Amino acid sequence: MKAPWHYMTSGDWLVVLLLLCASMAGIAWVATAPRGTRVIVTRSGQTCFIAPLDQPRSVDLDGPLGQTHLVIDDQGARITASPCPHKLCIAMGPARHSGDLLACIPNRILVRIDKPGGEEAPYDLLSR
Amino acid sequence: MTCSAVDPVQLAGARRQVFVALFVAVAVTVHALETLLPMPVPWLRLGLANVMTLTALYLYDGRAAWTVSLARVGIGALLLGRLFSPGFWLALAGAIVATSAMIIMYRIAGRRLSPIGVSAIGAAGHAFGQILAARMLVIQHAAIWQIFPLFLFFTVFAGILTGWFAAGLIEKLRQHPAFQAPAEADTNH
Repeated sequence: MKAPWHYMTSGDWLVVLLLLCASMAGIAWVATAPRGTRVIVTRSGQTCFIAPLDQPRSVDLDGPLGQTHLVIDDQGARITASPCPHKLCIAMGPARHSGDLLACIPNRILVRIDKPGGEEAPYDLLSR
Repeated sequence: MTCSAVDPVQLAGARRQVFVALFVAVAVTVHALETLLPMPVPWLRLGLANVMTLTALYLYDGRAAWTVSLARVGIGALLLGRLFSPGFWLALAGAIVATSAMIIMYRIAGRRLSPIGVSAIGAAGHAFGQILAARMLVIQHAAIWQIFPLFLFFTVFAGILTGWFAAGLIEKLRQHPAFQAPAEADTNH
């Protein structure tokens, strides 16, 4: 089999370049988002926990599989323990930029960082 | 080989059916092996089954490509016990968007794009379809689109790699008498 550039036409190079530029612009746009102010947790689509991002705190969130342990500190919000099989939510590391997302799909827990003056504005702290 | 009594059009049709079935079988096998292979991140896959979809598109047409991609998703999920699971719907949405994108690009660009460019577009479509399905079925929040650029970046390289394999395979198969025009192929007997 010949090298990939033997097959590639100028159209191919254009397509690949455009896709890579678009993805890098998107990555840069996501990475430069401002630091968020609030941590919002939803369980099966229902908001179950809201806390400010600048106050250290840790909380156990109940999901269908068990408890997901969420820690908020100066690095951001991160999941440190979870009953799910793959532990992807722990591997996702800390979230701190506005719009960042930590998801534990098996345990139906979704943690997201809100921008200043975001949606559900009435609460600074909520736990249920 | 004696098949002089057979109508060449009928023969070409039968030959096409056999080869599309073979492409489906190879795609299902490659997909199953790739899924069972342990990976550092569970959703990280090269998508080698797409080599067969591209081959069907270039050697036959869009209809053959649809057959290979949809049959691969259906039979693959059945074999791995994932039929109608959330992962199945994500895979199906990815395959539908990817196949549509590849066929449209192939028709518009024709010879100006090799299987590598068409595959890169298909990979981007696959990522888009999967995140769209995850947005609707699993996460149900627009914030999931934040992971799309990163996903797109890696998937383009996977698309180039599978497109390269497809380009090599298509080049080899085109030299075989079974994939030449029916009238030409018959003179070889």
